[in-house]
Amino acid sequence: MMRPTWVLALLLLVSCARTVNRIDPAQQIDLSGRWNDSDSRLVAEKMTTDLLSNARFQEYAQQLGKKPVIIVGQIRNRTSEHIDANAFIKKLEVALFNSGRADIVESSTFRDKLREERAQQQDFADPETVAQWGKETGANLMLFGEMTSETDVYNNQRVVNYLTTLFLTDMETNKRIWYGQQEIKKQIKN
Amino acid sequence: MKSRAHFWILISAGLWVSCATYYQSNQAFNQEFEQGNLSNALSTLQADGREAKGKREFLYYVNNGLILSLMGKYDESNEYFEKAFLFGEDYRKNYLNEAASYLTNPMITTYKGEDHEHLMLLYYKAVNFLKMGRSEEALVECRRLNIRLQQFSDRYENENKFQRDAFIHVLMGIIYDHDKDYNNAFIAYRNAWEIYETDYERLFRTHAPEQLKLDLLRTATLSGLTEEFNSYKEKFNLPDYEYRSRDTGELIFFWHNGLSPIKTEWGINFVIDRRGDMVYFYNQELGISFPFSLQGYDDREKNSLNNLEFFRVALPRYLERPQYYHQGNLILPDTTYSLNLLEDVNQIAFKSLQQRMHLELSKALLRVALKKAVEHQIKQEDRTLGSVLGMINVITEKADTRNWQTLPHSIYYARVALPAGQTEVTLELTGPGSDVHRHQFTYQVAPGQVLFHTFSSLESRYVNFGY
Repeated sequence: MMRPTWVLALLLLVSCARTVNRIDPAQQIDLSGRWNDSDSRLVAEKMTTDLLSNARFQEYAQQLGKKPVIIVGQIRNRTSEHIDANAFIKKLEVALFNSGRADIVESSTFRDKLREERAQQQDFADPETVAQWGKETGANLMLFGEMTSETDVYNNQRVVNYLTTLFLTDMETNKRIWYGQQEIKKQIKN
Repeated sequence: MKSRAHFWILISAGLWVSCATYYQSNQAFNQEFEQGNLSNALSTLQADGREAKGKREFLYYVNNGLILSLMGKYDESNEYFEKAFLFGEDYRKNYLNEAASYLTNPMITTYKGEDHEHLMLLYYKAVNFLKMGRSEEALVECRRLNIRLQQFSDRYENENKFQRDAFIHVLMGIIYDHDKDYNNAFIAYRNAWEIYETDYERLFRTHAPEQLKLDLLRTATLSGLTEEFNSYKEKFNLPDYEYRSRDTGELIFFWHNGLSPIKTEWGINFVIDRRGDMVYFYNQELGISFPFSLQGYDDREKNSLNNLEFFRVALPRYLERPQYYHQGNLILPDTTYSLNLLEDVNQIAFKSLQQRMHLELSKALLRVALKKAVEHQIKQEDRTLGSVLGMINVITEKADTRNWQTLPHSIYYARVALPAGQTEVTLELTGPGSDVHRHQFTYQVAPGQVLFHTFSSLESRYVNFGY
């Protein structure tokens, strides 16, 4: 064992500098075992591949005779964690938009802002540049989703199974025309 | 050798601090604050600019933040709370100070703040934002709280330890609820309910507030969680509950009752019992014994430690400032709402210290052992200097008595439906011997609007400081 004065000297010499590194966003890093960016990415990738290659979605677009217009509805979170579904929904939206297979219209939060701005334009903007009322694009499909989790705990171990399900529903018929599902199971040992 | 001895004495003497506790060393400030003389308390606090960058930087920020919040200066208050938050984020151990503290006492290290204090500062900050109608910024604090709670629960694995804060979950629910994010509000309320039921009832005998039941059912309905709604309705035995949208406003009223405990100091006397290569620090009264291995030490050092027949170790302890008022009601023209207990900050402070007392005691013993070992080494070289150092060691031996002392003893709340327009509300506080104090408030609310109000009663019952 070291002499007490040496322990102190060692403590005095120890110094750690904070380090910050930028890393590849695709790198999987799990610290606590809770839902994290890697899970959101897995869900986004699975849902995008599923939707873009889905035969029923393509068939629906063909029958419609134009690109389907999608609006994002509610993603219900039934888990015990505060998970921001936007993290994977936005990735899905970007992939869908870039693929050119569907159009996306604003959901309620941003739509209300647009309507507010349009109302202001009626009073203050040059009449030739005023955005007209009644020209909004109506959506054909609404995207819904649900996240659930089941947790089993014993001593220092925890197993959590996250199930994320997304579905597109026809606005006129209430029929679901696409389902995507991603299951992520984690075992955490403390 | 003499020069080395002088060095230790100079170090110790230089680091010598007064033997007053943190509370005693801020007598003027405490007196002004406890009497509700907030502007004087603030001036006293801010008069000593060294505090802002010293070892009590965290306490300086949170005390400023809290007083400014009480004075209704929410923006300024949040500037201080933000500094306190960033302090917590960037806090790093200063090993030089840590090492020096083993030769003197822990008061010379930077105070990093208790876990519950780091949560409480975000509570104040979030509520300040809500009062200013800045809900987006309150949501940021809500996310920060979530991260803090996760860090907090990961730190302790033992279920008998305080590791989950129900009140903070309720607060998160209130913030999400206000943002009309009913799904997240439901999750937060559900987590809070579970923690009250499992942890709080067992650890603190604190039951879940009645209001929480109604908030859980309401947010379950508004999020379309029918199964969960039915299950809780049955669990709460509220078969007739039905959510009805009302054309009223709402008031969320927080009552901060009394003042949180202060830290003082107590001492344990230990005797040395040496058996072979082990030294036992032993206290017969408390029946505690700490082994200390001497393997690897040379004979001279073994003898140094062996010669420590008797010594005193200083440890921190909390002293409660009992609440003056034991009940609070909000009286409207047609209804009376009783204020529900959300968080017993006093008990949480006691529990936090209690659960790390073993660590505190080990650190204190190591500190005294090191001080004594150095003292004996010097005594062998120069008896007089050794004795002087021994005296300094006795004087400087003290516990860390710092904590956030302007926090309330307990936090209560009520969610009150207010008819659109102007309403007179009476806050009725009941103290010992049915001593009732009433405060009148007038609220102006529009349909759907939510108002936030905090009321602090700083009165405490007699405190036996024992000095």
